[in-house]
Amino acid sequence: MDFLGFLVTQCLNALSQAALLFFLGVGLTLIFGIMRIVNFAHGAFFMLGAYVGYSAVHVTGSFWASLIAAPLLVGAFGAAFELGILRQLYRRDHSAFLMVTFGLTLIMGEAIRLLWGVAALEVPAPKSLSGIVFILDEPFPIYRLFLIGAGIVVAIAIWQFLERTRLGLLIRATSQNAEMVHALGTDVRLVRSAVFGIGCGLAGIGGVFAAPLVTASLGMAPNAVIDTFVIVIIGGMGSFAGSLIGALLVAFVQVFGTYYFPDLALALMYLLMLAVLVIRPGGLLGKEA
Amino acid sequence: MAFLELDGLTRRFGGIVAVDNVTMSVAAGEVRAVIGPNGAGKSTLFNLITGVTKPTSGTVRFDDHALTGMSAYSVCQRGVSRTFQITALFPEMTARENVRLSAQARHARRWQPWGGGTVFADAEKHADVALERLGLTHVAYRPAGLLSHGDQRLLEVAMALAQQPRLLLLDEPTQGLSVEETEQAVDTLSSLLADGVMTVLLVEHDMEVVFRLAHMITVLHRGAVIADGTPDEVRSNEDVQRAYLGGLA
Amino acid sequence: MAIKRNSLLFLAICVLALAPTGLPPYVMTLLTEALILGLCAMSLDLMVGYTRLLSFGHAAAYGLGAYAAGNLLLHTSIPLVFSVLLAALFSGIVAIGVAWVCTLASGVSFSMLTLAFAQLLYAVAFKWTSVTGASDGLAGIPRSPGPFGITFFQGRAGFYYLVLACLVAAFIFCRSLVQSPFGAVLRGIRENEAKTLSLGYNTRRYKIAVVAISFMLGGLAGALYAPFAGFTNTELLFWLFSGQVLIMVIVGGAGTLIGPVIGAAFFMLVSNMLSSWTDSWALFFGAIFILFVLFAPQGIWGLATRWRSLSSTG
Repeated sequence: MDFLGFLVTQCLNALSQAALLFFLGVGLTLIFGIMRIVNFAHGAFFMLGAYVGYSAVHVTGSFWASLIAAPLLVGAFGAAFELGILRQLYRRDHSAFLMVTFGLTLIMGEAIRLLWGVAALEVPAPKSLSGIVFILDEPFPIYRLFLIGAGIVVAIAIWQFLERTRLGLLIRATSQNAEMVHALGTDVRLVRSAVFGIGCGLAGIGGVFAAPLVTASLGMAPNAVIDTFVIVIIGGMGSFAGSLIGALLVAFVQVFGTYYFPDLALALMYLLMLAVLVIRPGGLLGKEA
Repeated sequence: MAFLELDGLTRRFGGIVAVDNVTMSVAAGEVRAVIGPNGAGKSTLFNLITGVTKPTSGTVRFDDHALTGMSAYSVCQRGVSRTFQITALFPEMTARENVRLSAQARHARRWQPWGGGTVFADAEKHADVALERLGLTHVAYRPAGLLSHGDQRLLEVAMALAQQPRLLLLDEPTQGLSVEETEQAVDTLSSLLADGVMTVLLVEHDMEVVFRLAHMITVLHRGAVIADGTPDEVRSNEDVQRAYLGGLA
Repeated sequence: MAIKRNSLLFLAICVLALAPTGLPPYVMTLLTEALILGLCAMSLDLMVGYTRLLSFGHAAAYGLGAYAAGNLLLHTSIPLVFSVLLAALFSGIVAIGVAWVCTLASGVSFSMLTLAFAQLLYAVAFKWTSVTGASDGLAGIPRSPGPFGITFFQGRAGFYYLVLACLVAAFIFCRSLVQSPFGAVLRGIRENEAKTLSLGYNTRRYKIAVVAISFMLGGLAGALYAPFAGFTNTELLFWLFSGQVLIMVIVGGAGTLIGPVIGAAFFMLVSNMLSSWTDSWALFFGAIFILFVLFAPQGIWGLATRWRSLSSTG
């Protein structure tokens, strides 16, 4: 195997992995940026996205339809949970949020098991995207290239959303000064529900994108939340650009790390998290430790 | 050699210079007020002295020992106690327990993981004295979170006092107090500082308080020292008048 | 009040001590397991309830103790009681290193680090076959004869008394700890760590110490589990178990030591009742957990003591 070919394919692998991680990371960082809470259930929403995506594909026969339906459903569920339950906790301290979202993780994990069963689900990629392409004589799955593209598109979309739309502006303002936003007449609570929903929806869409690659399974949740947390810590809580950088860093470490040290995947994550926390407790671009 | 010596103390946050080349000498037993408009860098200065924030450059010397770069708890162990601008207490503990925990910090066996009879008794002695001097004995057994704002501010001072500090930093002790409460607080502080044993750094906005308590005043503006001297000297200083009355930060 | 509380406890211990004489073997087994879990939950309470160090990885303590004890009992001739105590000590020592790392961060980061460490241990257990038996775990763990040839602890009643003794001893130890000067500092850290630091306490050292003690006692619980069940496996290190223990602490009543033991009993009772018609304990307990955090954060024991003090003054 030619080294350049290997390098390029592994880099492309890492980029597609980064795209998935970015969906997760940007959602969590958005939620933290606005609400100052860490959504422990973020991995569970990711998992839910994969399973709902699976069902949507089977019901509609179309991967593309499920790409739209799944995040909407998952996001709606997230917003409903925020409205019903999280809203009661804003006056309490942050450990309450962590515990409640942990409870949600348990519930969601079990609910998914009840609704979809224990066996790992196969979600086939759409025909137009399956198959391989040759890059420098190395085979590379088209679906992963699609992921890279999707990641770029979503990143730009979110960026524009935050910069140009009214809701995006409200979100950025609320993250800096919620009281002022409230004083100016906006119901900050609605902004929060919207953000939580969007964040969960993004995790959900990550799940749909990931499903053809990893086969939806029940063990996803805690490891996904650790990965996401590491990304957000690296990039800094509440920073959009940071979640992008974090996703890239983690993806490259994961892909190249598991190639050279296959047994140490989880240990690498842990070490990376430690290294970042030691060097910069606020993350590299973050607002808050 | 001054008791507290700040030399070229500077702190930058990104592009902002919060504390700009501050040099200051405080003699033992002196009460030094640090005043200035909002954002002048007073609280940051306190944080630099107490080790909460590390300086970008410059040094802090206390009783001829370098304090620069020491961690907050180490600085405190050296005999420096402080109060905070935003009240920081243990809300669910009683006032007495608050002060006891503060006094315990100076006990040789503060970390003892069993029993504690003597440790607590010693700490309680200091606590009761401090509570009495601040006129808080009548609320000693009330949870600190339920005290009036004025009593909470005084409780913080009691906690600092119970550590028998050699250097006491008070960050806006009368902030949020009514006129009567302020009067009372100043009376109490005045009698506490009368014996000249403690050296005090006092950040205050209320100029009446400053003129009643301070021996010397340092004026900060945008992080830098613009005036330094006795209350009369500062009162008549033109730079100070300009900073306070016109072109405020 | 203190005298009343102490005599109530004494009564409870007496009742528990009499259990083997009246209860059928199947109930004794459940009771023994409940006490072991109670010990585990009580150990977590030191971190969560007394110091507000939220850990999602307490399974690591339990698993470390269980695997250490399992290995000692299977591969050495160290008597039962010493094996259990050594395994607990081992957990505590490992915890010093873990705590040193985890306390580099605070708040959420701390909690995530505890989860990550537990996940790491879980992954290691799968790979390190020689020591852990991988996914099959260790089987056939004997209840070796106790020290000095005592065989008392090997029987069902005897082992129950060993567990009860450990729980009571741990309780006395923990209570003494939280009422000591050290415990007062923990309380300060819980209510306002920044202030505690500014008072001159090196809070990090206290946090490391409490995590190590917590792990040691959690490891003791795990070390008792290994000879109790006769086997260990990776389930003991799984994050769901960490969640169970946390639920026991919160639902039982954090910061009370007794509460978590009650929480463990409650958990065992309810999951036993549930298991006859559903497998989905996680769903049910997840919901109960959320409800308690929302509406009754002081837990069962907290509610009981509040109700008792209200009705005695009212």
